[in-house]
Amino acid sequence: MSVRAYDLVHRTTYEYAQPVTDSYGRTTLTPRDLPDQRLLATSLTIDPEPADTGRHVDWFGNTTTYFGVTRPHTRLVVTARSTLEVSRTVPPRDQLPDVGWRALARGVVAGDLGVLHTDAAGVVALREAVLPSAHVTFVDEVRDWAAPSFADEAPLADVVTDLLHRIRAELTYRSGSTTVHTTQAQLLAQGAGVCQDFAHLMIAALRLHGVPARYASGYIETRPRPGRPKLRGADASHAWVSVWLPGHGWLDADPTNDQLVDDRYVVLGWGRDYHDVPPLRGVIFTEGGGATPRVEVDLVPTGSEPFA
Amino acid sequence: MTDLLSSPRPLGDGTIAHRPDWTWLPPAAAPTEADLARAATQAEQLLAGHGVTYGAEAADGDQQWRLDPLPVVVDEPEWARLEAALVQRAELLDAVLHDLYGPRRLLDDRVLPPTAVLAHPGFLRAVDGLRLPGGRELVLTATDLVRDAAGDWCVVADRTQAPSGAGYAMEDRRVTAQVLAPVYRQASIARLGPFFHALRKALREVAPLTAGDDPRAVLLSPGPASETAFDQAYLASMLGLPLVEGSDLVVRAGRLYLQGIDGLEPVDVVLRRVDGEWCDPLDLRAGSRLGVPGLVHAVRQGSVSVVNPLGTSVLENPALLGYLPRLARAVLDQDLTLASAPTWWCGEERSLRHVLARLDRLVLKPVVHGPRTTTVLGWLLSSAEREQLAARIAAEPWRWVGQELVGPSVEHAAADALAGVGTDRPGAAGVGPADLGPRAAVMRTFAVAHAGTYTVMAGGLARVADDHVVSSSAAGAHAKDVWVLTSQPTPSAPAQREGDVAGVARTAAYGISPRAAENLYWMGRYAERAEDGVRVLRAVADRWDDYHRTPGTAGGQALAVLLQTLTPAALPDGGEAVAVPSEPEHIGPRVPALRDLLLDHRTPGSVARAVRRLAAAAATVRDQLSTDTFGPLARIERTLRDERARVRGRQQRGQSPAAPVPPGSVTAGLRPTLDGVLESLLAISGIAAEGLTRDVGWHLLDAGRRLERAQRLVAVLRATLVDHRPSDVEDLVLESVLLATESAITYRRRHQSRTDVAGVLDLLVHDRTNPRSLAFALDRLLADLEQVPAPRSAAQRDHLLHGVADLVAELDTVVVGNEVSDDGRRVRLADALESMLWRLREASDEIERVHFTRPAPSRALDDLWGSTYGEPADGGAR
Repeated sequence: MSVRAYDLVHRTTYEYAQPVTDSYGRTTLTPRDLPDQRLLATSLTIDPEPADTGRHVDWFGNTTTYFGVTRPHTRLVVTARSTLEVSRTVPPRDQLPDVGWRALARGVVAGDLGVLHTDAAGVVALREAVLPSAHVTFVDEVRDWAAPSFADEAPLADVVTDLLHRIRAELTYRSGSTTVHTTQAQLLAQGAGVCQDFAHLMIAALRLHGVPARYASGYIETRPRPGRPKLRGADASHAWVSVWLPGHGWLDADPTNDQLVDDRYVVLGWGRDYHDVPPLRGVIFTEGGGATPRVEVDLVPTGSEPFA
Repeated sequence: MTDLLSSPRPLGDGTIAHRPDWTWLPPAAAPTEADLARAATQAEQLLAGHGVTYGAEAADGDQQWRLDPLPVVVDEPEWARLEAALVQRAELLDAVLHDLYGPRRLLDDRVLPPTAVLAHPGFLRAVDGLRLPGGRELVLTATDLVRDAAGDWCVVADRTQAPSGAGYAMEDRRVTAQVLAPVYRQASIARLGPFFHALRKALREVAPLTAGDDPRAVLLSPGPASETAFDQAYLASMLGLPLVEGSDLVVRAGRLYLQGIDGLEPVDVVLRRVDGEWCDPLDLRAGSRLGVPGLVHAVRQGSVSVVNPLGTSVLENPALLGYLPRLARAVLDQDLTLASAPTWWCGEERSLRHVLARLDRLVLKPVVHGPRTTTVLGWLLSSAEREQLAARIAAEPWRWVGQELVGPSVEHAAADALAGVGTDRPGAAGVGPADLGPRAAVMRTFAVAHAGTYTVMAGGLARVADDHVVSSSAAGAHAKDVWVLTSQPTPSAPAQREGDVAGVARTAAYGISPRAAENLYWMGRYAERAEDGVRVLRAVADRWDDYHRTPGTAGGQALAVLLQTLTPAALPDGGEAVAVPSEPEHIGPRVPALRDLLLDHRTPGSVARAVRRLAAAAATVRDQLSTDTFGPLARIERTLRDERARVRGRQQRGQSPAAPVPPGSVTAGLRPTLDGVLESLLAISGIAAEGLTRDVGWHLLDAGRRLERAQRLVAVLRATLVDHRPSDVEDLVLESVLLATESAITYRRRHQSRTDVAGVLDLLVHDRTNPRSLAFALDRLLADLEQVPAPRSAAQRDHLLHGVADLVAELDTVVVGNEVSDDGRRVRLADALESMLWRLREASDEIERVHFTRPAPSRALDDLWGSTYGEPADGGAR
């Protein structure tokens, strides 16, 4: 089994025109430590130095950090650095269980541990993963859009593959075309969005059919076009979908790139949707306005020259 | 009249009488219908006098709390059974709460279906695993009960979020005991006091260990616009806790602090009246202005305890009701004693079928409220509407419960009542008429975790639809006191302060936020502004009555001067155009709108406007004030309201509003209204003088009053005394100035000779013994400010005020009074007064800056949506 080692830097910078007296923040920037993603080292630095920080594991098992900067500042920089080994492989289709989406949906309703391949605590997680959430609402527009992918006896693995294809084919990636408030119905109407929109749409389609699905936050390694040098800091935060496939477990699928998630991806954390796991959220106190964050992400093989 | 809540009397034939029953009283002690009617009127007056309100921002007078003095009477054995059942229920709910935010062993289809909990917005994942010291999670709980057809108690809702109504219950008791004193004295009725005593102890028991022996607690309120603002302030006063808002609190280094006027004060316990979700804009609902960013973190650090803990509203989920019997067996190994209204959660197949088959007989309640999902009374739906609803329920069955309506209902509970139906509206405090829903009568009981068990209030808050009350003048519902009969001798009041949790208020300055400080200061200013406005109006109105018919005389000229200088806002053009009003026609057509200066809050400088702001400021600092303050305030507003109504009535009867007011009736009705308002304002200042301890709050209130008085006095002197006038005119003007400044009698006692400017200035500017003088006001203001902590340098403030004092000392009244320039002005006097006024205004700004600076407003960090996120991977990843 091949293992890829990464150095990861994720820096978010806010620069304000007027002083901010206090900044309170919460981050989900510490990658998950998983069997196929070992977290070797991780650190989080906040500038100016916070008066107070606190780290705990949240409801979803993600490591999250609170910070409170309580002296006036005009610049806030949050930098997360991690070193990881990723060994995730994409299972070939013929090795994925052939369970049908409908059987799974019925199993979730009945709480049938045999069908679901899980325990009592697992049932709670699966029941949660079929409910609507802050950004994933159940509407007819999504139901109608999704229907063709849910053929009556279709195996779930094929449903997932089909949804990935269709989102990639039918929707255009356009930076800035949506906001955090854009609904799935609006997304379908305008035909363009970003990775979070695509993830939310796929999650909504699955949950509407009773299939447990959750939202994953993380990164994807970008590779330069042949012959071009790789730009440092130009990698990206990313978002995709996890689907419960009984017998396999949570299957990670990336509708933005129409592929299953492999060793080019790093998982930060998961939740019901974006609302549960933004890399950084916060509250500031200021007489002035806010600031658009500048984000730099660098995901490179270990040993590369450190990102400044 | 039916009594739907009192202990039922079985009749011989197997039926039950729900009638007020006085047989427990000594013979002939029962109140008559006439007694009750009288008591109802008295109760209404008392409640108005105490300023007891419900609901926010209603029209004139619509906010008054309504009480039917006829109490609900529960006999001793029945109450003993109910009390035990309520304790059992509280213990069960507490155990369920423990489990849901802990091991979650109960989340199992055989006990409590997980989805019923997971789908409820009150289940706050952000506080999972957090624990309150002391072993209880559910500290305070309230239970809404009705009587079922058999006369047994039945629960319709559990109120576990931040139960409201205990303060109203206490106030209802106070009023009922007073208006039914003869009955109350003869009865042996259980006291409510022990419940509040237990609540104080409970707050102490849950304090973090780090708090030491003397934990400090606050009551967190959503603010004076909250529906139950009265209840909150009343409770805060009873418990001795500072009433604070989210913006008064701050988290620093993992600890919660109150931002006092003298710096940060640690807070150990928060009794919250803000819904859990709104308590922290960082970890809970983003954008909430009612909470404190970092509060969840501080709770996680164990440095502060929140009561009820965040997340307790998960127990208000109506879906739980159907599972409580099963939970009682699983958790307590007992049968549940107290029945709930039969409730079916549609997330279960069998329940769904049951509910769909009986849609026309059930109340349908959403587990998750939304814009399109509110409570529906099935029997009011048309068959088409029923079909629509059935389809919605079938699509998302876990969103709905069906519930039987227990006990007598209100027949007319139709359309308009439905908007607010349901005692389970999230965020609703739930003691308003709308919260009664279709029910004719509901009783709310209260219990608090204390000393290893729950202490149930021996009484409660009953609410009945108006068909069932003595006085049903208004639409909606009335409250009733709940009398629990007891054969026990009334226990002597426990030593109230011993072992109690203390409010943050420890020394004089503590417990007052810059927000509260500012409101107290402005209360003082508005009270003085109103009082001054009344006195000025009185003085001017007197002159009007005497001289408006004789404009050519000295009196007529003095009147013109006064109108122009003291009440310019009452003149049609603001007094601008009146140059030298010596000719009769100058007054004739200028009928001043003196009444607007009293009654119309839109008129700048009006008494009505000052009173309105006074009331608003008082409402925000209710906990700092004697409750007696609100009686006079309510009376002023009623006096003004009545007079407005009278004037409107007169206009409707004959005159169009545009028609000129005949000069003779300019002051008609003005005098008695002014006198009434003044009397109440004097009562307020009397309460402030005699009824408040000299703490920082009082000094702020007094400083506001003194500064306002100083400013107004100097402004009046500048307006009236600078222009030199013929002596007969000046005499009359000076006399009015003395009247308006409440110094006429003193002046006359000291000066038998004619009134002159120097003498008036001596009395109104220099005389330190005259409480109406500028020197007196300055002395007091400086003394008050010395007692108020100043977090920032107060040098500039003091420099300005001492500057005024110096100007006062330097003012040679004889010289400035007699020195008149060629254009007929007392120029030196004008200069001196102008300098004083400027300094007083600057000092006012400085006071705001030094003492009332509030934290900068908060906003969310801009989100990381979109542009910073992964484009389809370039090159290899595609």
